[in-house]
Amino acid sequence: MNPVRIGSQDVRALVIVVILLALLPFFLSRFALTVATVALMFALMGTGWNMMGGYAGQFSFGHAAYFGIGAYTVAVLLTKYLLSPWVGLLIGGALAAVFGLVTGYLSFRYKLRGAYFALATFAFAEMLRLLASGSSFINKAIGIHIPLVGGDDWARFQFENTQRNSYFVILLLLALALAATVWMVRSRAGHYMVAIRDDEDAAAALGVDPLKYKLLAVALSGFFTALAGGFYVQYFLFIDPDLAFGALVSVQILLRPIVGGVGTIWGPLVGAGVLAVLGEGTRTLVRQPPAFLSFLQGVNGLDGMLFGAFLIVVIIFAPEGVVGVVRRIRTRMER
Amino acid sequence: MKRLSKLLILVMTLALIASACVSGTSETTTTPTTQAATTTTSGQATVTTTTAPAATTTAAAPVETIKIGAIHPLTGALAGAGTKMDNAAKMAVADINEAGGIASLGGAKLELLSADSTGAPEVGQAEAERLVGEGVVGLIGSYQSSVTTNVAAIAERSNVPLVIDVAVADSILQQGYKYSFRVQPNATAMGKYGAEFLNTVATAAGEPVTKVSYLHEESGFGTSVFEAFKAAAADYGIEVVAEIPYGAFTVTDLTTEMTQAAAPKPDVIVVTGYYNDGLLAARAAKDLAVDVKAIFGVANGAFDTPEFTADFAAGAEGFFDSNYHYNAASTKVADVRDRYQAQYGELMDTASVLAYQAVVVLADAIERAGSTDPTAIRDALSQTNLSDHLMAYPGPIKFNSAGENVNAQPVLMQVQNGAVQQVWPAELQESQPKYPAVSWK
Repeated sequence: MNPVRIGSQDVRALVIVVILLALLPFFLSRFALTVATVALMFALMGTGWNMMGGYAGQFSFGHAAYFGIGAYTVAVLLTKYLLSPWVGLLIGGALAAVFGLVTGYLSFRYKLRGAYFALATFAFAEMLRLLASGSSFINKAIGIHIPLVGGDDWARFQFENTQRNSYFVILLLLALALAATVWMVRSRAGHYMVAIRDDEDAAAALGVDPLKYKLLAVALSGFFTALAGGFYVQYFLFIDPDLAFGALVSVQILLRPIVGGVGTIWGPLVGAGVLAVLGEGTRTLVRQPPAFLSFLQGVNGLDGMLFGAFLIVVIIFAPEGVVGVVRRIRTRMER
Repeated sequence: MKRLSKLLILVMTLALIASACVSGTSETTTTPTTQAATTTTSGQATVTTTTAPAATTTAAAPVETIKIGAIHPLTGALAGAGTKMDNAAKMAVADINEAGGIASLGGAKLELLSADSTGAPEVGQAEAERLVGEGVVGLIGSYQSSVTTNVAAIAERSNVPLVIDVAVADSILQQGYKYSFRVQPNATAMGKYGAEFLNTVATAAGEPVTKVSYLHEESGFGTSVFEAFKAAAADYGIEVVAEIPYGAFTVTDLTTEMTQAAAPKPDVIVVTGYYNDGLLAARAAKDLAVDVKAIFGVANGAFDTPEFTADFAAGAEGFFDSNYHYNAASTKVADVRDRYQAQYGELMDTASVLAYQAVVVLADAIERAGSTDPTAIRDALSQTNLSDHLMAYPGPIKFNSAGENVNAQPVLMQVQNGAVQQVWPAELQESQPKYPAVSWK
């Protein structure tokens, strides 16, 4: 993996990216805006995962736990206590961070590493799924509906027809997460995390407390992933245990950083962009193929196959992700 | 050089997102009129209602095609059922067009835009947005409650009506939505009638039921049907002595669960689930030769299908299922099913008949509205009174203020001599129910 890069250009790039992304809705069709909104949501989840899986090297296969905690917290606080999702987001993030600290402490205390740690995180997510399915307080497996309010309501961030506002909300949350990543990368704590990722024992020998910095990464990661969960609920207006804590969610969270580049600031965002374009592109291709490919029309499942084939190509030829490939090309150009 | 690399990443990100918007805009360029329509709906809803009818009247020229959208899982774990439903919707559109299209709009033809939810709520929602952007005047869909929930929210926000063919969760229509209508019975009706049918059949046979065990898939579908059954069963003095939930998509064997269900010695074991798990439950019951008077499905995706009697052969004999069903006695239904089978080479199941029916319900509303304005179509839908339908319901398709079909009712079916027979209520009876009935006794 590449060493961490420090520099004010990260901050500058962040500002530019956010501004450019903020201009997008004015050029997008309604449908494309929906796709972009969901892509940013996945980018946020991926950015959260990346803090722990990418920088601190703690590969989590159960990030659905944090996502689900965020989602359920917002849903429960809104439907039962009429608390604004903005407050719900913060509380959900905090709860997820605490959950991360507790489960992280237990895992690290018993020296779970690599595949064992990944399995432990998966088990924690699965445990939450079963708990949610059995708890009548949160409607068991039936799930929670968020009532649709008429008109625009910033307090609930629900907007009539104007998908644009929802897009700005998720962009704001993503910008916070990216800023946190930049801060982390540039801070001492971030350096320790990378040192632990690269060689935990060596880092410990040099006086870095692995437990402390690993837990910090877990807490941050849990917080931002939970924000995505909270947004999900307000955007889709429905949550059930499978949508919140299911294994598929954990996989979806992983996929973006892996395609974009693990342990890079922009990896999750680039990965989310690539996968969104690829997903919609193949779907459009199957729906309205150009004349010479007309035999593809309506071949269901082809889009999924193309998508899968692309993933395999990425993993074989660009295991370091899109951002990694760009870096490799750049270093070659520099020579 | 470092700066260059940052720039490169930036440009790439933008290029990706830009190409996303190109794929979106290319659709709007093919239909320039929809762009205007969407911008008006994105303004105040009141504006839409006043301007839209004016727009249709100024158009004056006969409407040529009317777009309607269908959203089903065409790929993924539920692709089998979803594809069949999409085919049925296509066939309904073809039938309506062949019969002269929408007469009140000068014989305008319907055009079906099919969308694949892939079984994921976020994809279903994006597809609903896309279809609305492409100018559909109504939607049908979408087989799963979670996806339908999202599609219904989009329908409501966009003021485009949705006719739900299959999706059972009560909660979808408990949101006070004005643009969603459901043709099938909801979970409460499924559970309520399931309990009533069980009680009626067993009492008539002189062996009233007092104890049942209930095996159900654990998601919203199985849980909500179970809750409704339990509440209604209590009124008949039927006690649920064991509730055993299981994961429908992960389960590979239900022997343990079936053993648990049989342990408290119930009179009947009730099962709610999809096809594969329903078949597993049936196999486990036969292998264990559970000592009950009947295996009774409620909204069971297996027990009333032709595949079940083929896959499970002799073991299927006597299985009950209380579920939505096409009207097996109707010649019209027989005609639709025969043509479907000839065209697609497979039997048309009830979910597909419901998809066909949903298109007909929507077309009927467009006909009566005499307009392509979605709000006018919604108003016509709320006045639906369709007695010439394909379902085994005791009355016409009619929606209450919540959008539920007031006459939606399941029927009780039983496998008899290798064929699924309607056995209750009396007016839809193909043959008499047999109770007690399990093949291993």
